[in-house]
Amino acid sequence: MDRLMRWIGIGIVIFIAAPLVIVVPMSFSTAASLQFPPPGFSFGYYVQYFNDPTWLRPTFNSLFIGAMTTILTMALVVPATFALVRHKFWGKGVANLMMMMPMAVPHIVMAVGYYSYFGSLRLVHSHLGVVLAHTCLSVPITFLVLSANLKGFDRTLERAARSLGATPRQTFWYITLPILRPGLMISALFAFIQSFDETVVAIFISGRDAETLPRRMFDSIRQEADPVIAVISTLLFLAVFLGLIAPHVLRMVRRSLVRVPLPKPKKMAAQHREAA
Amino acid sequence: MAVTVSNLAGRKNLWPWLLLAPLALYLALFFLVPLGQVAMMSVTEPRVGLDNYEKVLTGTLYRRVFINTFFTAALVTVCCLLVGYPLAYLMNHTTERRAMAILLLITMSFWTSFLVRTYAWMVLLGNNGPVIWLLATIGFADPPGILFTRFSSTLAMVHILAPYMIMNIYSVMKKIDPALIRSAESMGAYGTSLFRHVYLPLTAPGIANGSVLVFVICLGFYVTPVLLGSPTEQMAAGLIGHQIEQFLAFGLGSAMAIVLLIVTLIVLWIYSRRFGLDRLYG
Amino acid sequence: MTAKQRSMLVRPSRRRFLQGTAAAAATTLATPHIARAQNTELYINSWGGPWLEAATANLFDPFTEETGIKINTVSPVSFAKLAQQVRTGVYEFDVTTLGGGDIVRANEAGLLEDIEPPYEGALFQNGAASHAFATKLAWRTDAGWDGTPQNWADFWDVERFPGSRSLQRYAARVLPIALLADGVPMDELYPLDIERAFAKLDEIKPHIRVWWTGGSQSTQLLRDGEVDMIGIWHGRYYEALDAGAPVAATWNQAEIDRAYWVVAKDTPNMEAAKQFVEFATSPKPLAGFVTQGNYGALNPAANEFIPDSALPRMPTSPQNYPLTFEQDMANWGGDPHEVSMRFDEWLAT
Repeated sequence: MDRLMRWIGIGIVIFIAAPLVIVVPMSFSTAASLQFPPPGFSFGYYVQYFNDPTWLRPTFNSLFIGAMTTILTMALVVPATFALVRHKFWGKGVANLMMMMPMAVPHIVMAVGYYSYFGSLRLVHSHLGVVLAHTCLSVPITFLVLSANLKGFDRTLERAARSLGATPRQTFWYITLPILRPGLMISALFAFIQSFDETVVAIFISGRDAETLPRRMFDSIRQEADPVIAVISTLLFLAVFLGLIAPHVLRMVRRSLVRVPLPKPKKMAAQHREAA
Repeated sequence: MAVTVSNLAGRKNLWPWLLLAPLALYLALFFLVPLGQVAMMSVTEPRVGLDNYEKVLTGTLYRRVFINTFFTAALVTVCCLLVGYPLAYLMNHTTERRAMAILLLITMSFWTSFLVRTYAWMVLLGNNGPVIWLLATIGFADPPGILFTRFSSTLAMVHILAPYMIMNIYSVMKKIDPALIRSAESMGAYGTSLFRHVYLPLTAPGIANGSVLVFVICLGFYVTPVLLGSPTEQMAAGLIGHQIEQFLAFGLGSAMAIVLLIVTLIVLWIYSRRFGLDRLYG
Repeated sequence: MTAKQRSMLVRPSRRRFLQGTAAAAATTLATPHIARAQNTELYINSWGGPWLEAATANLFDPFTEETGIKINTVSPVSFAKLAQQVRTGVYEFDVTTLGGGDIVRANEAGLLEDIEPPYEGALFQNGAASHAFATKLAWRTDAGWDGTPQNWADFWDVERFPGSRSLQRYAARVLPIALLADGVPMDELYPLDIERAFAKLDEIKPHIRVWWTGGSQSTQLLRDGEVDMIGIWHGRYYEALDAGAPVAATWNQAEIDRAYWVVAKDTPNMEAAKQFVEFATSPKPLAGFVTQGNYGALNPAANEFIPDSALPRMPTSPQNYPLTFEQDMANWGGDPHEVSMRFDEWLAT
């Protein structure tokens, strides 16, 4: 029974890992098609990617749109989260629901709406249009992450600061904000990734001038299965890998330098439930 | 609550609304208005009336696509459960190191873009890909093509959505007190009976969370079925996109979109009646 | 007042209100759009692959050299995009190529600009005839069959030629092929017997693994052996052949379509767009384009610049043309738009 469970476990792990691993050798292939095992290895498609403006432009567009979306989302969501977590007022339930709604609506539905609405506003094919749409889609996840952080905030610290003579403004800038910084950073990261990965709305509205990387990839996969996608996939995968490994490595380095037991970092599972 | 509000000074009373106002205005303009426009188009394009809904609800094509969507979402949910539950169980019963490694892998999968994972499945299942190659090596003379079928798109969707399920189940399973299991065992509960009477009820909230999440996301899935599936087994989102892109049939596409939205909201509503919506995403 | 009239009165004002509120905030960031209108740049809708290579070398680069107008390409080719850009006033491309059927449809919706004929007999409505391309029957030579497929009836013959197949997801091209497979002679095709075509398509449907939607996708399917037999554009077939794939094809019963250059209605780069259409259909550039891309030139004056070595791969060459048939959009046999809607429903059920 145990052995059986073990094999089932190994099978599932392979099922999850295989697609992540497979793109790496493909990206070094010399074949023009999806051939496995690759007939030979080279950096040809990497060279192609870094020299092809039709791939680089969408990459920069995505980074730019992601950054703008993050800024706009944070500017809107941070004050709103403070209002919803710290104040009681009439209509709070409705406001809460409203914040979550964009998450419940399938993206294709929003895509149809934006395609028509932004068409009449002449915002299709513009960076601004994509940023406006992506901000809306980023609101729920950013709000969730931030409000979870804010709910766990120990307000006695603020009260202590006030009782020591700090003005509300000083308290906010010197106490509240620094303590919340990690939460703010994480929610900003979620907003960025939500925008950077968003595909469906971008397919409909990003057009020729604001074409995003996922849209370019989608078109490319649908049209020709160009091996350059394997390069991008590998790079994106690498970014995720480094992003997840980096905190662990940093912690190990710090630990070996300081040799002082640090508090255990938040479990990844907890972050993940927020992500979902 | 009304009492609290009237007790506060006027300035304080306004403060949360001021903080909330920019976002509320934003969502009104860039969420509610486009959504309203979809609803509007569904009853005005090309003519005013319910023609589009009549077509969507009675036409064989549309009914078939919606049934197919529902069926596929259910299938994907069940498969995710079959993949997710044993893995979460194993993570809970293996060494901490291994559990962390598996968790890292799942997290990595979760963060990797939908498109990258869809493309990876295209590589894996292609005619010159490793799966066919493996089948041929172990002696299948003429393996059938599996890419661009319902099988390939379902498999990829299970892979893409499994992390949601695993995370949800694992997080509740981890909280089960081992002492509880031991005492159940000491009272003679083993194997299936232990599972049925102890594990299953205790992990039920995780299963419900994960299933609803997977099911709802799957209902509106666009990218993977379009890229990996076949046009004879379309899902709703793909058909909506096709109606708009190929035929500029905004009315029909919008009507389908509204039906899809309503189905999604009904599922979420049933769930929230029982568990509360914050629990799902929170 | 009828409901329809009322809705027409209400809608513009609602739109205008929305435009007023949101667009006011947007204008500052959207300015690049307005600025570009004065630039001499031209956006052309591209088919990609061999088409793009041939067009860049023989049409785009020489045009830029002569006029200083920079050319950018946008893909994929989409009729819906043409309609949507005229509807919204935000242009993705100024110039595109359309088949005859799409020109009729576009003019019904008022999507095209009128142009001067660049040479005599060039115009079909307001499209300038450029080149001919064919949809032909191609197959894998490693499929392990006795004998080779000869015509579309063999495409339907899954007993003699087992294996998976692919056709374009495009009703106007697929229906005539189905009738040929059913035994209708090439010269008696039009007007099409739509019912009979659908009935014949029912037979082959389970064997079609992929309904391809893009040219490069069809190349990939054939080259990688995802399917054994395919109805494919001839240029794309040669692309797979030249890549070294074990493939073969026949000109027999190949289906010829004519491609016309058209200018999008009210496009901001109107002058440059018209200038380009004239340039692209003039004899020398067109001859270079069709020679490299293996198309058939539709401006007869171009023929004298085409070397004989290019003829075997051209659908309109004296050897090949008699084996083929042409799409007859004037006498097609139904409303193409309605038929393609029906085709899509048929596909999904």
